[in-house]
Amino acid sequence: MISTAKKNTHLASHEQLNILLIDENVQRAESIVTALGNSRYKVSHLACTQAGLLKQVDEIQPDIIVIDIESPNRDMLESLHTISHYNPKPVVMFSSQQDTETINLSVQSGVSAYVVGDIDPERVKPILDAAVARFKAFHKLKDELNDTKHQLESRKSIDLAKRLLMKTNKMSEEQAFHSMRKTAMDTGQKLEDVAKTIVSMLRSLEQGHEHD
Amino acid sequence: MIKPEQPNITLGFIPLTDSAPLIIAKELGFFEQWGLNVTLQKQNSWATLRDKLHAGVLDAAQMLAPMPIASALGLGAPPANVITPLVLSLNGNAITLSEGLLQEILKENEINSVTLPMAAYLLQKVVEKRKRKGEAKLKFATVFPYSCHYYQLRDWLKAVKVDFDDVEMLVVPPVSMVECLKNGDIDGFCVGGPWNAKAVRAGIGMTALTSFDIWQDSPEKVLGLLEEFHKKHPNTVLALCAALKQACAWLESVPNRFEAARLLCNEEYLHAELDVIAPSLLGSCLTHQSLPPRSIPSYNQFSVSNNGCINQPELVRGEWLIKHMVSAGQIPPHVTIPLDLIAKVFRPDIYQQMRLLIEDQGVQFYRRSG
Repeated sequence: MISTAKKNTHLASHEQLNILLIDENVQRAESIVTALGNSRYKVSHLACTQAGLLKQVDEIQPDIIVIDIESPNRDMLESLHTISHYNPKPVVMFSSQQDTETINLSVQSGVSAYVVGDIDPERVKPILDAAVARFKAFHKLKDELNDTKHQLESRKSIDLAKRLLMKTNKMSEEQAFHSMRKTAMDTGQKLEDVAKTIVSMLRSLEQGHEHD
Repeated sequence: MIKPEQPNITLGFIPLTDSAPLIIAKELGFFEQWGLNVTLQKQNSWATLRDKLHAGVLDAAQMLAPMPIASALGLGAPPANVITPLVLSLNGNAITLSEGLLQEILKENEINSVTLPMAAYLLQKVVEKRKRKGEAKLKFATVFPYSCHYYQLRDWLKAVKVDFDDVEMLVVPPVSMVECLKNGDIDGFCVGGPWNAKAVRAGIGMTALTSFDIWQDSPEKVLGLLEEFHKKHPNTVLALCAALKQACAWLESVPNRFEAARLLCNEEYLHAELDVIAPSLLGSCLTHQSLPPRSIPSYNQFSVSNNGCINQPELVRGEWLIKHMVSAGQIPPHVTIPLDLIAKVFRPDIYQQMRLLIEDQGVQFYRRSG
């Protein structure tokens, strides 16, 4: 597993951004580096990689990764998102093939932006700006969605536990809630976790009674 | 004969021994027989193949069996309704360790040779020694996060309680495996052919065991396509499955497999030497330069005539793969698995339609054509 410092994924609009460019075509890479010469983007180029890629990502801690979609190294980026607990990065991909337009239209996630046609040094900067903006917007939405989902789930289990306590222990709603909150505070657990334990315990007791 | 709604098909594949059914169907004209004009597109990376399939740039593709499930759950990419009507192959992976790791294993266990298939407990002493001395953890590579390779390597190590946190797992595309092993970037890998054989022939590794020694007869590669594509072009999908099923059946006979190996060598396909590709197609696992090959009759299965349904995507197999994804901690807490997930992804119904169609047509299997 890669050891990584958790870095803030919300990229500020004025700070300098590190770019890791993965391209075996050295000439093309050089023209991109030149095109970004006087911008806020600082480019580290990686021509031939193999497993070194992950080490490089770890060292450079890039804010954006730019890669040719036909590169076999594309798979290694996948492991950044899944196997390791790495923060997701905006990934900009380009390809000299025509059909990338379709990909560009259909990849809705802000994480990966496919660039139409071969990468044109003149157009690199606006593409990167757009990718960073999309990435930020996507992650904000995703974080919000996850939070909401989680809140909903936790409220559901708390309500269920409360109802079960009221039924089995003949408690009032207020008593049930207080008893759960006390357990949570006494044991240093989250209210939600206490609720889950109560639900599973009472349920298994109920099942036990059915078998009697 | 059915008429495909869309005869021109772009089919993605990764250069591997078990892409044989796709290459055979193309080379022997099975696609043509079913009214299809198929272009095979070689891909360098599983992630790129997946993205292109999701985007409709590829109409269908050879996929790792867990990939359509990961697509449906939106793991690693936005969710997409990928379905699989056909299993293309079983088994075929193997775990190869570097020469350096092999020497370390022999030394730590005070033995002169390793019995094959190698038991993972021989690794334990190496893992422990490295931990004790504060040395780097062993690095293993698989081809994709959502792959049988990953779960197999995990199961192999877990069986002897090698702590998964005591080793490092990387993703390396198949085409780069041997080079990584050679450079010492990794200590071992789990990959399909011909890459294990290639490492052995190059004298840089030992194939310690095959996936058949870990799990038997689980789907390895499947045909993947978008549900939407099937809705629009049901006959095209049936024709595609029929042609591939025919190729799988053709690959059952040993002489045909020799011929397949010869075709796979081609630059536009695997671009590798015959002595690297042929063994695993013929049930022989190369182990080490100094050791005889092992006979693994089920290495790379495409079809079995006395058990006609290995190409059918069975729901229990799908459920089993989901269990592995869960146990590997690959399903994030905010992702819920719908109860009917597998029934939506694995489509034995389409497979059965194709079987009926083939019977109606009186298609002759196992015959050498071309």
